[in-house]
Amino acid sequence: MAEVLAFENVTKEYRSFIGRRRLRAVDGFSLRVEAGEIFGFLGPNGAGKTTAIHLAMGFMQPTSGTGRMLGKPFGHSHTRRRVGFLAENVALYHRRADRLVRFYGALNGMGGSHLQQRAREVLQAVGLEEQAGGNVGKFSRGMVQRIGLAQALVNDPELLILDEPTSALDPLARVIVRELLLKAREQGKTIFLSSHLLSEVELVCDRVAVLHRGKLVRLGTLSELLRSRGESEVVARGIPARDFPGATARDGVVSFTVPQNEQRSAMEKVWNLGGEIVSVNPVRQSLEEMFLQLTADQDSSGSTP
Amino acid sequence: MKAMLLIAMNFVREQRWPIFVLLMWVLLLAFLGLVADVVREREDLLFIFKQVAVYVVAFSVFFGGSAIYNERKSRRILAVLSKSVARPQYLSGLVLGVTIACGIYCFALGLTGSWTLGGAGFPIAQVWVLMLALITACMLAGTVALMFSTFLNPFLGAGATAAVLGLPALASVLLSWRWAYTIPVYALLMTVMRVSFQHPGSAAWWAMGLAVAETLLFWIIATKIFSRVDIAVAVE
Repeated sequence: MAEVLAFENVTKEYRSFIGRRRLRAVDGFSLRVEAGEIFGFLGPNGAGKTTAIHLAMGFMQPTSGTGRMLGKPFGHSHTRRRVGFLAENVALYHRRADRLVRFYGALNGMGGSHLQQRAREVLQAVGLEEQAGGNVGKFSRGMVQRIGLAQALVNDPELLILDEPTSALDPLARVIVRELLLKAREQGKTIFLSSHLLSEVELVCDRVAVLHRGKLVRLGTLSELLRSRGESEVVARGIPARDFPGATARDGVVSFTVPQNEQRSAMEKVWNLGGEIVSVNPVRQSLEEMFLQLTADQDSSGSTP
Repeated sequence: MKAMLLIAMNFVREQRWPIFVLLMWVLLLAFLGLVADVVREREDLLFIFKQVAVYVVAFSVFFGGSAIYNERKSRRILAVLSKSVARPQYLSGLVLGVTIACGIYCFALGLTGSWTLGGAGFPIAQVWVLMLALITACMLAGTVALMFSTFLNPFLGAGATAAVLGLPALASVLLSWRWAYTIPVYALLMTVMRVSFQHPGSAAWWAMGLAVAETLLFWIIATKIFSRVDIAVAVE
């Protein structure tokens, strides 16, 4: 697969004005994002996610290391014509939404009827076609976020870099964005998605990387990372919940977890009690659990002298 | 080129209220032209014309010094520079924007000056030469301010700009007039300030040419500095 975005041992240090105090936001960070995948970029606040994204976009220079975006070094302005970017806490000019989207499209070299058509399409895609004539300055934060997404999509980018794209959105708008991302992947586009909303990442991402204190602490596909806990969840009906430790009953359906080596005996017990098995599934660690465990492990190892 | 024009026009649009306030000064001159006896009170009118003309240079420093700061503080610069816009293009757009903003003012002042001073016997062609001198002075002053604003906050940037523009002026007074041409903003301003009905002034083409060349020089320095600036980091 073609490499779309690559960080190679990138370090970024912030220095105070007189240069005495230093803060290492990204520390020897290496990562490769392949074409056509939705890549989730996770980490707690201050982990260095936004810094890494800003380095890729050329907004800042790495202290050391290099990187490439669509085959060119970070900061190559012509390459950005093939990239869509949505910043965290997006800030846009206060003007009519359709004109604003056209303005950003024109900055990417677009023009004429193609740009007009494309602006209409992206405003429709983010669900704001009826507000196209409204001033962005009077929009709610969620609407501004969606206009931000529209300006990122207007040039039909090969690579979409989104920093917290759903943070200000209501559930309906999140569904719209999620469908947009999945549609973009179907069209062969690559999406680099930084998010705090782990459930969103879990729903759309092919691979994820977890960044903590500027370092990459985990990288892989969701199935690799969300490993089985060695337990199964059994859902059955027609049995009393009290016969199974830790079982919960709801609407006549009882569910409980058992170690995988006791799965068969648990099922036999259900049948012996005259019950019916509805489903048996391995219990997997959720992304949230993995994330919390990982950052806690790193914190404890980081505090060890 | 297209990106530069878009950034310039966007800058003018964003600065429409300060430009509107500036135009009120021109309106004052126009009002005086309406109510005054332009022939009898022509010296007073010329004095006000010169005063109103000089303000625009201060505004060009304000425009140039705050342009990048405002964009970085509001983080709107991120969406612009995430597009296919190189940093030198971005700075060119801002220089052009500052020049257009000041040009709007100078054009309005030129029209009003042609009407009021022209009616009192001042050569109209010379009014427009003076406006051209003002625009070049604004372009240079705005670019110097813009250069400092790439790495200083607006207060320090304005101070540094005042020093760069003011020291040659001071040297021209204390040492020799030739010093005024090292950074010819003061020389161009004095071209405007020294005119009278008896001596409408000369064209000062040399100073204007020098101002354009120095604008290019300061723009080059600004692009070199700005290419190394972390634009996503908040300005302190």
